[in-house]
Amino acid sequence: MIEAYLVHILILIGIYGILALSLNLALGYGGLLNLGHIAFFGIGAYTSAILSLHGAPLIIAFISSGLLTGLSGYLLSFASIKLKEDYLCLATLGFNFVIYSLMLNMDFLTKGAKGIAGIPRITGTIYLIITTSLFLITYFVIQKLTKSDFGKSLQATRDHELLAQTLGKNTLLIKNKTMACSAFFAGIAGSIYAHYIGFIDPSTFGLGEIILLLTIVILGGLASLKGTILATIFLITLPELLRFIAIPSSILGPARAIIYALTLLLILMYRPRGILGKVDLA
Amino acid sequence: MSFSFIFQLLLNGIIAGAIYSLVSSGFSLIYTTNKVINFAHGAILVVSAYLAYLFFNIIGLPFVLASILAISLMVLVGYTCSKTIQKLRKKNVSTAMLLLASISILILIENGLLLVFGPKTKNYALFNTIHSIEIFGAIITPLEIAIILISSLLLFLLYYFVQKTKTGLKIRAVADESLLSESIGISSNKMKSIALIIASVIAGIAGILVGLEFKIEPFMGTGLIIKGFTGAIIGGVTSITGAIIGAFILGITENVGIAFLPSQFKDAITFMLLFVFLLFKPKGLLGGIK
Repeated sequence: MIEAYLVHILILIGIYGILALSLNLALGYGGLLNLGHIAFFGIGAYTSAILSLHGAPLIIAFISSGLLTGLSGYLLSFASIKLKEDYLCLATLGFNFVIYSLMLNMDFLTKGAKGIAGIPRITGTIYLIITTSLFLITYFVIQKLTKSDFGKSLQATRDHELLAQTLGKNTLLIKNKTMACSAFFAGIAGSIYAHYIGFIDPSTFGLGEIILLLTIVILGGLASLKGTILATIFLITLPELLRFIAIPSSILGPARAIIYALTLLLILMYRPRGILGKVDLA
Repeated sequence: MSFSFIFQLLLNGIIAGAIYSLVSSGFSLIYTTNKVINFAHGAILVVSAYLAYLFFNIIGLPFVLASILAISLMVLVGYTCSKTIQKLRKKNVSTAMLLLASISILILIENGLLLVFGPKTKNYALFNTIHSIEIFGAIITPLEIAIILISSLLLFLLYYFVQKTKTGLKIRAVADESLLSESIGISSNKMKSIALIIASVIAGIAGILVGLEFKIEPFMGTGLIIKGFTGAIIGGVTSITGAIIGAFILGITENVGIAFLPSQFKDAITFMLLFVFLLFKPKGLLGGIK
């Protein structure tokens, strides 16, 4: 029993870890104020769920969800490339609302508020191994990417776009590619999530979850992958402790949301660079 | 499609617009003066609605007194908000961080209300029977007429205050050039606080109106602030007049839109409109005009 519970927590850490690492790529290394990351997670989850329910093999559903989400990341970045700071925040947040309302309203495809049930599931230790492997792959790919020439150009673009341009870097392309890559991993996380829980509905992809993701990345620190991992472990485990003091489940949901919102607020006020952060949120 | 059907939708749109504009005008007033995208503005709506519920339905004060009490408390909330923002500004907290902080506050307060009052929707149960009035085949209730009138009056007062009074002029000066206004002796922090308090009071009234027309629930603030900010973006977040016009465009579009699309796409219309404006005309319809 306790073992199954532990496996569950570890799988959640794996899923949210992939999500948070990929968000840190855009937010921390790229300085791209993307508040719509959870929409990518949702697109991945829905793509994978719908494809596999229409008979696609899991591996195909899995890969397609990554690719389609990556494409949507590229398109969002391409469309919003001229927007800066506040407006980029708003556009990506708006993108999130658009995707959310599509999930809620395109009944023929997404089953609306009822959500999609009966998604083929894989559970137990085998899924923990799969999730952990994918988590490690994500970590190493993003780490490699940030240390590469591309990563250096990306960080140069973040710190001084004009200077990067005068050095001959195509900063717009760099940003688009980064968003595509970040979205790709979020889509993968979505697919893992859908086939783990077996049920998805729009509520998993709302405003509260955006706060959870941002809290993880900002607590861990922008442009620090290790920080992100530490923060994921801490913040996913923290509300689980509430289960041990036997409070009713009706309180658990709001309490979890309050913990995350309060954590984010406290970090922003007292330690804006988080645990291991290297840059400030512009 | 009959004329009366379209007229009914148009009327519904105007009622929605009347409510949205109360949110968007305050959102825009806060943005122009305090330079904060303040999602916590939605929290003020919901807190005011619940306070009125607490004073009227639980404590048993007369409704008007309960409302006035709730709305006056919003002055305090607005003042606290502005002091907090100014404190954070001194620490060089960026706009993006303030935006995140405001979303956190909204979520914090809404979930707090959920814990205190429970998930069940509430209403003031002020009116036992509703006599609706028919105009050109469309139906409207006296409450809805009152909402349109109160909203128009508030928006007119806001416009008059900002455009015609001395304090309004100072607020506009601070909105344009905060540092420059300080150099001619205007206390920019004071003006920012006044703007935030006015916006909070208007939001407080809006919250109670929404409670009367629809219902009170913990997450109504999120829904309303999204509509309000969409309205502000459409009209131009830097112009209060624009934000008001944008709110009415939004209200009318999403209601008349149902004539052409299934009704569940009402929210999708809102967000499409928002997204299109953010991408192609982020400054909104009147954003460039001072």
